[in-house]
Amino acid sequence: MSTIRFVTGDGLPAFLTFLARNGRRVLVPVEKPAVKSSTVFETWSEGKPFSLQKATVPAKSAVLPQCETLIRYKKSKNPDNPSEVSLNLDDTPEATPTVVFACRPCDARGYAVLDRPFLHGPYADPYYRARREALTVITLTCSKGCDTCFCHWTGGGPSSPEGSDVLMTAVDDGYVLQAITTAGKELLNASSLPDGAERFPLAEEARKRAWASLAPAPDLKDVPQKVASRFSDMPFWLHWTERCLSCGACTYFCPTCYCFTITDEGEAMSARGGRRLRSWDNCMSALFTREASGHNPRLSKAQRMRNRVSHKYATYPENWGTFSCSGCGRCIGNCPVGLDIREIVLACVRHSSDIAQETQER
Amino acid sequence: MASKTSSSSTDLQTRQISKPATDISMRHTLSPRPMMPGNPYLPMPATVTEIIPETANIKTLRVVLEDDERMRDFKFQPGQVGQISVFGVGEATFVINSPPSQKAYLQFSVMRAGEVTAAIHKLSPGDKVGVRAPLGNHFPWQEWKGKSLFLVGGGIGMAPIRTIMLHLLEQKGDYGKISLLYGARSPRDMAYAYEMPAWLDNPDLDATFCIDQPFDGWSHKVGLIPNILLELKPNPQNCVAVLCGPPIMIKFTVQALEKLGFPPESIVTTLEKRMKCGIGICGRCNIGGRYVCVDGPVFTWKQLQELPPEI
Amino acid sequence: MSVLEGKELRIVGFLCNWCSYGGADTAGVARATQPTDLRIIRVPCSGRVDPLFVVRALLNGADGVLVSGCHPRDCHYSSGNFYARRRLEILKQFLPVLGIDDRRFEYTWVSAAEGQRWQHVVTTFTERLHNLGPAPQLEDAAPLLKVADMVLTALRPLGTGQNTALDELKAAIVKKLPELECVIGWQQGRDAAHHVPLFIRTPDDVNKLTWGPFNVNNPAVYLPTFKGKKVGIVVKGCDARSVVELLQEHLINREDVTIFSLPCEGTLDMARVDQTLGRYTNLDKVEYDEAGVTITADGTAHRFCMADFAQGKCYGCSTPSAVLADERFGTPVQVTPGEITPPELALLDAMSLEERLSFWHGQMERCLRCYACRNACPLCVCRDYCVSDSRDPHWMTQEDTPREKLFFQAIHALHLAGRCTGCGECQRACPVGIPILALRQQIARAVGQLFHGYAAGMNPEEVPPLLGYEVVEENIQERDWK
Repeated sequence: MSTIRFVTGDGLPAFLTFLARNGRRVLVPVEKPAVKSSTVFETWSEGKPFSLQKATVPAKSAVLPQCETLIRYKKSKNPDNPSEVSLNLDDTPEATPTVVFACRPCDARGYAVLDRPFLHGPYADPYYRARREALTVITLTCSKGCDTCFCHWTGGGPSSPEGSDVLMTAVDDGYVLQAITTAGKELLNASSLPDGAERFPLAEEARKRAWASLAPAPDLKDVPQKVASRFSDMPFWLHWTERCLSCGACTYFCPTCYCFTITDEGEAMSARGGRRLRSWDNCMSALFTREASGHNPRLSKAQRMRNRVSHKYATYPENWGTFSCSGCGRCIGNCPVGLDIREIVLACVRHSSDIAQETQER
Repeated sequence: MASKTSSSSTDLQTRQISKPATDISMRHTLSPRPMMPGNPYLPMPATVTEIIPETANIKTLRVVLEDDERMRDFKFQPGQVGQISVFGVGEATFVINSPPSQKAYLQFSVMRAGEVTAAIHKLSPGDKVGVRAPLGNHFPWQEWKGKSLFLVGGGIGMAPIRTIMLHLLEQKGDYGKISLLYGARSPRDMAYAYEMPAWLDNPDLDATFCIDQPFDGWSHKVGLIPNILLELKPNPQNCVAVLCGPPIMIKFTVQALEKLGFPPESIVTTLEKRMKCGIGICGRCNIGGRYVCVDGPVFTWKQLQELPPEI
Repeated sequence: MSVLEGKELRIVGFLCNWCSYGGADTAGVARATQPTDLRIIRVPCSGRVDPLFVVRALLNGADGVLVSGCHPRDCHYSSGNFYARRRLEILKQFLPVLGIDDRRFEYTWVSAAEGQRWQHVVTTFTERLHNLGPAPQLEDAAPLLKVADMVLTALRPLGTGQNTALDELKAAIVKKLPELECVIGWQQGRDAAHHVPLFIRTPDDVNKLTWGPFNVNNPAVYLPTFKGKKVGIVVKGCDARSVVELLQEHLINREDVTIFSLPCEGTLDMARVDQTLGRYTNLDKVEYDEAGVTITADGTAHRFCMADFAQGKCYGCSTPSAVLADERFGTPVQVTPGEITPPELALLDAMSLEERLSFWHGQMERCLRCYACRNACPLCVCRDYCVSDSRDPHWMTQEDTPREKLFFQAIHALHLAGRCTGCGECQRACPVGIPILALRQQIARAVGQLFHGYAAGMNPEEVPPLLGYEVVEENIQERDWK
C-alpha cells in the first residue's frame, strides 16, 4: 500500500512551509492579475498567495530554465609573467533542491518526456541531471477535462502518475496526497500530515469522474507511421500552416519542447569574462536552422511546423517509443491564430485514400 | 503508445516508478566511437599554435589542448568533428582534418561564413580557444578493408577527405587502389595546395585535381567534379566512393556515381547542419529522427535515402 | 560648482562628428571648466542616433543621455538633424511611459564654434541630473501588478453585426475569386466561440467565411507575404488601417489588393471572454442578439454584452468602416466625435514614474520572449530578420531579465512609431496578457500631438511622419538651456 496523506485546504500553507524547509525552493502557481490574467510558477515564500489553477506556463523551467549559465569564462594573467595567459572555465550547474507544487499531470509527464533525451540519450546532460535529481513533483490531478486538453490521446490522463512523485487529488474537505515514487513516499513520511487512507476511495471517485468527463480519444496507435508518411506531402503542410505566424507561443508554452540555443554573452576573453548561456529556442523561427552560408533546410513555416509535428508524433516516438506531447493543449489555447495540433495529427491519420481527394479539393 | 478512452481504462492503478527509470534507452544504438569524457558542454582549453592561410576565405588552424595529459590521451577516428569555441562569440563545428596518428596537434580548416568563423579567422598563434571533441561518428574505414576507395573532395569539403585519405594511406596494405579527385572553383580556391605535389607523387595514391574554369598555368583537369568523375570512370566493383563538398556538388556527384554503377550503400558522404549542442539534444540538426551531430556527420547514400528529404 | 562635487553620475553623450564634437573640442581648447560626468560617443550625425541607443543606455544603467548635433539647416548631410529632431522628440515623449524620467534625456544643437554653449549645455544638463540623482533601475523596482479598468463608453454603438450584408459580401467574393490568389478572412476555429483566419481559394471556402465579434485576428498581417500576387482581403475598420499603412510604406501594391469591407460593430476581448467561460469540455452553442452573444458551455449560459466585453481598442475606435475599400457593403456605423484614452494607456497615465517602472518590472517578468507580439503585428515586416534575433548588431542578449524583455518592447514600439495603427494584435497575441499596447499607444498619441493629429493608416497618399520632416517644426519647441 502506498503512502497516503491528507491535507485540508487551510492546511496547505503549513504544508508548503514544511516543503520549503532546509532551503528547498517550492514552486507554486501564482496568478498574475491582468486584463488577461495568467498563472505562472514562482518561488513560494511564507504568506505568498498561490493558486491551484492550471498554470499558463508549465513548470518546465524547474528543470530547463528559460535561460541558464552553462559556463563562466574569463581570462587571467599570471601576475609574475603577464605574457602567460590562462583560460578559466567554470561549469558548476545551478541546482537548488526544488519541489514543484500543484502542477498538472500533463506538466509532470513533460518531465518524463524531457528525461529521455537529456538523461538517456548518447550523452547525459549534467545541468539537467543536477536539477532533475533535486526535483520532487507534487501533481494536482485534474477534476475535469477542458476543450483544449487531450492528455488522454497521448497516453496520459487527468490523474496520470507519470513524472510525478506525489499525486494530490481534491476531495470534499481537502486534498488526498498519494506517494508515487520512493522520493514522494519519503517526503510525505517526513511531513506531519495525517493519514489519508480512509479518504482515498473519495479521491479515486474524483479521478474516475474526471476521466468520465473526457470526450473519447481517437485511436492514435499508428500515428507515428502515418505522420511520417505525410512528410513529403508539401501541399498538406502548406495547407495546415497557412495561418501560422511563426512565433514561439506553441513551443515556449509546451511542457515537452526542449529545443535550445547556446550563446556567449558578456565580454569576450577578459579579466571580467562572460557567460555561455543556454536559453530556450524555438523551432518555429526561421533563424533556428539558418546556416552561416545562408542555406536553411527549414526555410518555410510549413517545413518548420512539419518538423515540430513530426518530432512530437513521429520521430521522438521512433527514438523513444512514446509521443513527445502530453496533450496539455497550451499550444492550442495560446496560439494567436488558433492553430490546433490535434487537427493536423488527425488529418495525418485520415486514410491515405483521402489524401488525393483532399489535395484535389485544395 | 496506448491511447486510452475514458470508458475503457483509467490509470488509477498507480505503479511504483523508479526515478529516473533505468530501462529507458533509445530505440536505435549509436555506432561505437571515441566520445568526449565529462561534461559534454565544457570545452577543453586549447592554444592555437599555428595558422595557415589557405585561400582568401579559408584558414587552417592547429590547436593543442592545454592539458598535456588530455592531449596525449586524445583519441578520435577520421571523420569525427570538434566544436571550436571563441569565447565571447560562440562555437562552430569543424571536422578534425589531421589524421588520428598526428598526436602533436589537432587541425581544423575553417571557411569564413558567419560570426564564429570570422572570429576564428582573426585568431593568432598563442590565442586561447575551447575545443569540444571528438563528436559525431566517423568513416567506417575498418569495414572498407580489402576494398578500393575513390575519394572526392569539393572545395572546403576536402577537409574531411584529407583526414580519411591520410589515415588510409598509413595502412595502404589493407586496401586496394586509393584514388582522389579534388576539385575547386579555381586554383586560388584550393586549400592544401602546398600538399598537392606530395599527393601527386605518392605512389599509393592516384590523385586528380580539377578546377571549374581554365586558368593560366593550371596543368591539371578543367571541368566540374561530376564530369571529371565520368571521365575517370572509377570501377564500382568492390569500391567505396567517399565524397564531401557543397550540397549542389554532392547532388550531381551522386548522380554521376550512380550512373557509373555505384550502389547507394557504397557511396559515403558527410553532412553539415547548423549545430549548437553537438550531443543530439538541441533540435537543430535533425533529419527526421536522426541527428547529424551524433548519428552523423558520416552517412551512406543509402541511409540518407531512408531519411526524410530535408537536407 | 556644485556638480563637480560628490559622486559622478553616468551620463552618455552622442555627439555629431561635424558640429557638437567640435564644439566640445572648442570648449576644451578654451579650457572651459566642465563637469566630468559625461562620456562622449562620437557619431557621424545626430541622424545616426537610433532612439534605441538612448533607451539601451538608460535601461542599462545610464543616469542620463545627451544627444547633440548641428543646428537645424547646418547638417553636414543637409537633413540628418531634421530627421533626428522628430525621432528624438518622439523618444522624449515615449520614455515616461516606460517609467523613465524624460528629464534624463535631452537633445540639443551645438556648433563647432560654440565652445561656450557646449560648456553651458553640459553644465546645465549635468546639474539637472545631479538634482535628479542616480536613475532608478528596473530591477530594483518592486514588481507591481495593476489591471486596466475596462468600464468604458464607446464612441459608437457596439453590436454583433449579425444583420450585416454578409451574403452580398460572399457573392462579391465568389465573383472576384477567379482573379485572385485567395481572399483572406475568418472562419470558425476550434469551436463557435473562437474564430481564426481563413484563406478562401474556392467558392466552397466562401461558405466558411464568418462575420461578427469573434473575428479578432487582423488579416492584414498576411498581406506582405503575398506581395506581387493578386489577393483579396476582408477587413474590419481597424484592419483596413493596417492595409492603408502597408500601402503608405509601399510594402504592398494597391493594384494587387482587393479590399472587401463590412462595417464593424466591435470585436470581443477574448481574454476576458475565455476567463469568464473558464475551463469547459464542450461548447454547446453560441447565440447572437443585437447587443451581445450568449455562449453556452457545459450546460451553463454566459452572456457577453458587447458594451462590456469589447476589446479595449473598440471603445475609442473612430473608423468602424474601412477607410479604404474596393467593395463595400452594409450600412456605415455612426461615430460620435470625441476621444477616448485607451484603457491600457489610461492605466499607465494614472501612475507615477516609479509605479510605471514597478509595473513594467512586474509585467515583463512573465514574458517568455515567444515573440507572438512581434509576429502578430501586421507592420512588423522584417519577419525573419528582426534585430532582436541578430548577433551583429548585438542589440539583445539571450538573458531572460525583465530589462531585456522590456527593451524588446521598446524596440517594437519605436520601430512602429508613426506606423502603428493601434490594431492591438501584439497585446491580443500575448499568451501571458502583458498590456504592451500601451507603449505603442503612447507613441501614437505623441505623434498625433506633434504632427497635427496625424494617425497612421488613414490615407494611402500620406507620408508617415518619421519618414519626413519640416524645416520649421510647428509643435517641436527648441529648448533654450537657460
